[in-house]
Amino acid sequence: MTTYLIAVKILPRPEVLDTQGRAVEATLKEGGLNLEHCRVGKYMEISVNAENQELALNQVREMAEYVLYNPLIENFELEVKG
Amino acid sequence: MSDMELKDKLKTYRISQSEYEKINEVLGRPPEGVEWALFSALWSEHCSYKSSRVHLKNLFSKSKRVLQSFGENAGVIDLDQGEKVAFKMESHNHPSFIEPYQGAATGVGGILRDIFTMGARPIALANYLCFGNPKAHRMSRLVEGVVAGISGYGNCVGVPTITGQTEFHSSYDTNILVNALAVGYFGAKDPVVTSVASGEGNLVVYVGAKTGRDGVHGASMASESFDESSESKRPTVQIGDPFFEKLLIESCLEVIRKDLVVAIQDMGAAGITSSSFEMASKGDVGFEIHLDEVPLRDPSMGPEEILLSESQERMLLVCTPENLKPIQEVFSRWGLDAHPIGKVISERRVILHWHKEVISDLDPHVLTENAPMYERPFKPWAYPFKKSELSLSLEIKELKSTLMSQVKSAMGTSRRWIYRQYDQRVGAKTARDCDSSLSVQRLPESGRALSLVLGCRPYMMRLDAFLGGADSIFEPALQMAVKGFEPLAVTDCLNFGNPEKSEIMSEFVASLKGMSQACESLVSPIISGNVSFYNETEGKNITSTPSTGLVGLKENLDLPKDHFQNSGDEIFLVRLPLVSTWGLAGEAQSLKEFVGEVDFSKASKFVKAWTQFAAKEGGSLSTRLVGKYGLGYALFRMSTEDLGARVQFGEWAQTDRDWVKENLYEVLVSAPQGHLNVQSLQTHFGNDVKVWKLGESVPGQLEFVNQDRSQSALTTDVWLAYETGWREHFEKLS
Amino acid sequence: MKNQPKIGVLRFLGTNCDQDIWEACLATNLQPEWVWYQDHFEPSNFDAFIVPGGFSYGDYLRSGALAAKAPSMKDLRMAADKGIPIVGICNGFQILCEMNLLPGVLMKNRDGKFIDEWVDLEVCSESPYSSAKKVRYPIAHGDGRYFVTNEELKNLQDQDQVWLRYFDNPNGSTFDIAGVKTKNVFGLMPHPERALFDWMGGSDGQSFFEGFLK
Repeated sequence: MTTYLIAVKILPRPEVLDTQGRAVEATLKEGGLNLEHCRVGKYMEISVNAENQELALNQVREMAEYVLYNPLIENFELEVKG
Repeated sequence: MSDMELKDKLKTYRISQSEYEKINEVLGRPPEGVEWALFSALWSEHCSYKSSRVHLKNLFSKSKRVLQSFGENAGVIDLDQGEKVAFKMESHNHPSFIEPYQGAATGVGGILRDIFTMGARPIALANYLCFGNPKAHRMSRLVEGVVAGISGYGNCVGVPTITGQTEFHSSYDTNILVNALAVGYFGAKDPVVTSVASGEGNLVVYVGAKTGRDGVHGASMASESFDESSESKRPTVQIGDPFFEKLLIESCLEVIRKDLVVAIQDMGAAGITSSSFEMASKGDVGFEIHLDEVPLRDPSMGPEEILLSESQERMLLVCTPENLKPIQEVFSRWGLDAHPIGKVISERRVILHWHKEVISDLDPHVLTENAPMYERPFKPWAYPFKKSELSLSLEIKELKSTLMSQVKSAMGTSRRWIYRQYDQRVGAKTARDCDSSLSVQRLPESGRALSLVLGCRPYMMRLDAFLGGADSIFEPALQMAVKGFEPLAVTDCLNFGNPEKSEIMSEFVASLKGMSQACESLVSPIISGNVSFYNETEGKNITSTPSTGLVGLKENLDLPKDHFQNSGDEIFLVRLPLVSTWGLAGEAQSLKEFVGEVDFSKASKFVKAWTQFAAKEGGSLSTRLVGKYGLGYALFRMSTEDLGARVQFGEWAQTDRDWVKENLYEVLVSAPQGHLNVQSLQTHFGNDVKVWKLGESVPGQLEFVNQDRSQSALTTDVWLAYETGWREHFEKLS
Repeated sequence: MKNQPKIGVLRFLGTNCDQDIWEACLATNLQPEWVWYQDHFEPSNFDAFIVPGGFSYGDYLRSGALAAKAPSMKDLRMAADKGIPIVGICNGFQILCEMNLLPGVLMKNRDGKFIDEWVDLEVCSESPYSSAKKVRYPIAHGDGRYFVTNEELKNLQDQDQVWLRYFDNPNGSTFDIAGVKTKNVFGLMPHPERALFDWMGGSDGQSFFEGFLK
């Protein structure tokens, strides 16, 4: 068994109004900063013990689908951090 | 220790040379190890009230209703019929300026803990806020952050925020005020508990959140002036968790109501240090505490950090050994831990253990009772702006545009943007919300009405500290009296600048005197509160601001209304002529002056007469205490979008200017045609007051009629200006 | 009309309108009984369930998401399957959406701020809980913006599931929706328990609670 650190990155779905992203974007633009677009989501790190990386990813995917993200309004991505 | 080392040490722990000498005297030796931290925390202004104690002693603080007052976490008053309320107000000024969201949020959390530690269920929150000029640096963000913090915390714990006061003035540009008040309720069966520890062999139990590095040195930070480095002090800001607090409320109330605890106290300023030393000191007992047993969020913390941590949502309680298990069961059901960290000993010593060594062994009285007490120099009050008559140099535009600019001004505009963010109804007791001139809740067991009103008008304080102090009691007392409530008791939050400056201390003493005399005349004692000194940034002091919160009682919910009710209602003015000033309108033109003086006996009689009259008449009347911007503004506030007023010029207002003049104290009252008359009002209120009929309510207009000339405004226009004025000052906050 | 229907009132860590619902039940001749989040229960012992408002789990992660996974919710799902009426108010509505017992999701208000105010609502679909065409209740929420896609909205409309609509949309909800329903599961953002008596500012909530007697 190896310990894997998996990041879960959750963003609002593109078609859904992202109120936080909108507010952050407005503040950045008002501050004279140059950007096109900003979205605000959630980031989590979960460490799991698994036989291999693929199984580790599966475990965390299951968690994401269980409760971490809401498919109606959000998408998620996994990334192996270590 | 070399002189240099000593100097450094004194600076780090914010202890003065003379205090250092006093420590040597009481200990018979220099302080060692963690003792430095203990003295730093408990002898700080924040914990010891060293500059104010000598004056606070003289406050009027007793009545037959008072069950608990100063010295406990909150004051408690008896409402008869088995019902009681606990209430208290506290400042969180410095933390809120540094990090507005967390500062304000943890201010709410702290004051709630003071209430439920007494065994009362929190039923209401209120906030007294003073911000700088809306255009000042960071001000928009401070306003937004503070309001969001209060909203985020209060809404989540499920305690309604039912009233508030928001002031704007440049003296707060670099030192805002955030004062939070909470009220808690006891039904007939609910016990009142205290923080007085007792019982040799009893356990000292730590409950709630784990200890982290938050707010280490917070108490001493709140006891010094701001400088440029304050903004970088962010790491010491505490983070609040309202969800955790909600669990703590439920679990603490459950163990208290099951009679499982001997004593309990919140870990507030100076955390576990102040709670343990104060509990032991009050009970005249000792504690033996094992700091290794304190649950830590960060295991690398040392004993000094543990002692000074101001991590939120923690309590210390004392219980008999056999009650530990049932207590742990209750907390565990709510997802919390209750962990014994020591025991009560009979000898009055607090012994602190760390890694099997005794790191401190002190008589708690040394830190609490022996704290320094200063008699800071002050001068007798000289009424610097009192005149024999008001100057007539106030410039005034015609009444419509005067009114329009008042209702759009930062001080005059609607606060809806703020209070719409507060849950005003959770608990289902709210009978009058933030939209009303005073908040009212229905007491659950008796069905009677409880009202809560905040006081202190900073512009009155700038005019005169004695007058302003008296006004910070009479003005809210009248607000509730004109709705039929009897003011019962007061809490306060004394926000002042640097007490080492004699002009600040003079204002402190004068305003306290005004407050105390007013309270005595009303038999409404001051039963709780706090003092916040050093509201000073780079030598600039805030307006001295003794904010207050008054609690009042009425037998039923039949209250006079706020607005005119029908077209044709007759409008009367009842004036007790004591003091006149151009008030807020004058201040804007640097006209700082007043005439007359407060007559405590007349003012308190006026309050009582109103309580009686309004309680008897109830909802058939509409009433309003005339306040900022005078009569014209008050008439607008009694209007609705549909219903305004037609009023005459006369003895009460002979020139345009007189409609903005502020007279302490006068009340507008309206009633259906023929219901009241000048004679009957005069008879009720006596010969000290003047009564006039000003006119009647009419559809759609506010009209001021002078013999040959009439000035008017459409109520819809004025309302629109009032509702949208906020946006003109806070463009981004709408 | 049944005599004293038994109403299961669900409680989670952080629920804060539970006591208000309890009092409202007592005031309207209903018999409330607590259902603790860790406890399993027998659905058929109850005539109906109310999932009260508040901030279960501090609204952390997403409002309602964590409560939706509580042990008691397995039994609530069974109750839904059996056709026992379930009403979720405010956070309760959010929880029922997270459980997919109701369609859609409740997101942060359009302006990002919590809103407390009285609102007028149009009753668009029949239910036991409101016989009037228009009712007035207070709202108090930060995450009250009801969201469904156009396609889902059409489904809702086709199946007569749009229950309550705001006259003056305060939060940006799709199609001004304040409440939705299925056959026996109902969700609404406004708080009828805060509109029970005239002294509260309105009493339209009386007929809401009387609905449980029908």
